[in-house]
Amino acid sequence: MKIMVCIKQVPHQDARLDVNGAGTWIQEENIKFEINPYDQNALEAALQLKDKEAGTEVVVVSIGPERVTQSLRTALGMGADRAVHVKDGAADGSDSLGTAKILAAVAKAESPDLIFAGFMSDDGNLAATGPMLATLLGIPHTTTAVSFQKNGAIQVERELEGGALEVVELNTPCLVTTQTGMNQVRYASLKGIMAAKKKPIDVKTVADLGLAGQVGADAAKIKIEKLYTPPKGQGAEILSGSVDEVVGKLVGKIKELGLL
Amino acid sequence: MSSTGDARPFDLLAPTPEHALLQGTLREFVAREVEPQANEHDRSERFNHALFRRAGELGLLGVTLPEEYGGAGLDAVAAVQVCEALSTSDPGFALSVLAHSILFAHNVSVNGSELQRKHVLPRAASGEWIGGLCMTEPEVGTDVLALRTTAKRDGDVYRITGRKTFITNGGVDEKTLGDCFIVYAATEPERSEGGERARRRASSEPKAISSFLVEKGMPGFSLGQKWKDKAGMRASFTAELVFDDVPVPAENRMGEEGEGTLHMMRNLEIERLTLAAMSLGIAQRSVQVMVDYANDRKAFGKPIREFGQIQRYVAESFAEWRSARTFVYDVARRIDLHGSGQRLDADATKLVATQMAKRAADAAMQVLGGYGYMGEYVVSRLWRDAKLLEIGGGTLEAHHKNISRELARNPSMLRD
Ligand SMILES: Cc1cc2nc3c(=O)[nH]c(=O)nc-3n(C[C@H](O)[C@H](O)[C@H](O)COP(=O)(O)OP(=O)(O)OC[C@H]3O[C@@H](n4cnc5c(N)ncnc54)[C@H](O)[C@@H]3O)c2cc1C
Repeated sequence: MKIMVCIKQVPHQDARLDVNGAGTWIQEENIKFEINPYDQNALEAALQLKDKEAGTEVVVVSIGPERVTQSLRTALGMGADRAVHVKDGAADGSDSLGTAKILAAVAKAESPDLIFAGFMSDDGNLAATGPMLATLLGIPHTTTAVSFQKNGAIQVERELEGGALEVVELNTPCLVTTQTGMNQVRYASLKGIMAAKKKPIDVKTVADLGLAGQVGADAAKIKIEKLYTPPKGQGAEILSGSVDEVVGKLVGKIKELGLL
Repeated sequence: MSSTGDARPFDLLAPTPEHALLQGTLREFVAREVEPQANEHDRSERFNHALFRRAGELGLLGVTLPEEYGGAGLDAVAAVQVCEALSTSDPGFALSVLAHSILFAHNVSVNGSELQRKHVLPRAASGEWIGGLCMTEPEVGTDVLALRTTAKRDGDVYRITGRKTFITNGGVDEKTLGDCFIVYAATEPERSEGGERARRRASSEPKAISSFLVEKGMPGFSLGQKWKDKAGMRASFTAELVFDDVPVPAENRMGEEGEGTLHMMRNLEIERLTLAAMSLGIAQRSVQVMVDYANDRKAFGKPIREFGQIQRYVAESFAEWRSARTFVYDVARRIDLHGSGQRLDADATKLVATQMAKRAADAAMQVLGGYGYMGEYVVSRLWRDAKLLEIGGGTLEAHHKNISRELARNPSMLRD
């Protein structure tokens, strides 16, 4: 079986984020990056399948600049077999659809039986890329997996609102997006780290994938106009006292403002 | 990039992708598996053998050992990373790992024969065996060349008699000896006659020192005093080892007779450097703890961070830690694990980093006030642990002596 795992490199959870000079994105110089936490669970799910089924190949795919190599190496160190790195300035500024097109082109070349992606990315929070990718490929998909099993078909428990779970069964090839906390993510052993040195990272451009002009900032349907920290709210009033007192004051305020 | 090259992308702390990955693994391992057990093992003065084996499983016990023997074949930078990271959480455990992987296994890797390496290194790298180094004796520490343990040739064996003390990993618990040790002992040159021997013994002339691999189970080899109630490093087991006419096969001698001093010297650089690395971890944690606390704790209506005296503790500790860290990693980068030439700097890293760490832990306790004195807040443990590094593996005074001597011999060090 061949599994493709889509991973995105995002600012580390502990990184201090500042808006860049142009006010269009965060300032990326000198901050630490990591594999998007949701994607870490996706990778772990793939590696657990590989541990169970001999002959399983795990291919990790990422789009981004040179620094992304570090995340791909981490994935290889953890046990993935190969990596594909789409490294091309022409991919910069892609929206979810652009990203999905690039991943779809890679998937077509790889024809995996199963694709894992994180439910969403920690920076964009759009949760769109996975479903778009599945749609472009014309394969079934499900999202927010909290558990995963393969007994012939794929069985996924997915999270719904209010803590409810839904069980979904899919036939391969299919795509599953993963929720954080679905599994305990392993770390690379030294043996894994040394083995990763010899594993290939296949570098591709947008043109290699036949997508020149179809992705990147110019093709994007969604553009970030402005990124900013909302100004601090003014006139906020903090009510103090016991619960009963606070509720009383609050009701008084609401009446006073004519909201009731 | 300009034509003169851009040095900014170079990461002193993780110069290659492998170092960067190791950094990530260490961060996770420490947070998930080391930290949760650290306070408890300090309190109960127990060595965590299961965690040690787990470190072996992850490859952390053999970073510098050749890949063909189950190691990772990495360099001094990687060894520094391991000792530093473990010490941000559990310096006592880190000391056991260091004594095993650097004082013992790395020494065998550099000084042992092919056969000895094959026998020892895979077991050491996996954590199946736990080893240590026996240099110190009840009456001889810094003055190691005056050691009294003897190894007398008797046919196919050497008979070793003497006592070694303060041996880290000497035991794994009250009843169980560690598995294998390098023991330095005095051998008499074979050519010497009785008269010559007597003359040597009486004089202060250095003896011929040789190194031996002594294994658990050899007759006459036993666990002596178990040192309890140590000030710090309580999660490492420290013991006296007794050698009572132990017959050690001649093939367990490392190198030639009389090469012991050479073996010691060859391993000194990496030993001192990794001990300095432990200090870095202690200081890093101390700074983290004091910064968090200074931001949260309020007195006189404001966070104590806003008081100048607290700022001084924080800023001085931070700046000293960063300087020592840069120094240690720079020397690590230059050390050749199979050569020598960084002796002076290796001594200097330990001299400067160990004192820095003790000051940082002390500053952290001061910033935390009464809470700093309580075990739960970790820094008092780090403070106790930090002190050992000014003594073990070479006292501050030994470094003073070495550094001054080297500078007198080699003043060119001061010129570039
Ligand atoms: C927790 C712990 C773990 C240890 N682990 C090991 C181990 O695994 N293996 C091992 O072999 N040893 C180990 N040691 C021993 C340690 O390396 C020695 O304690 C250290 O080398 C100092 O020796 P000493 O204690 O005999 O002190 P001494 O050498 O007797 O020194 C006493 C004092 O005299 C000073 N002094 C000595 N000579 C001079 C001089 N020429 N000039 C100026 N001052 C001098 C010293 O600096 C010190 O202040 C360990 C010790 C401890 C506490």
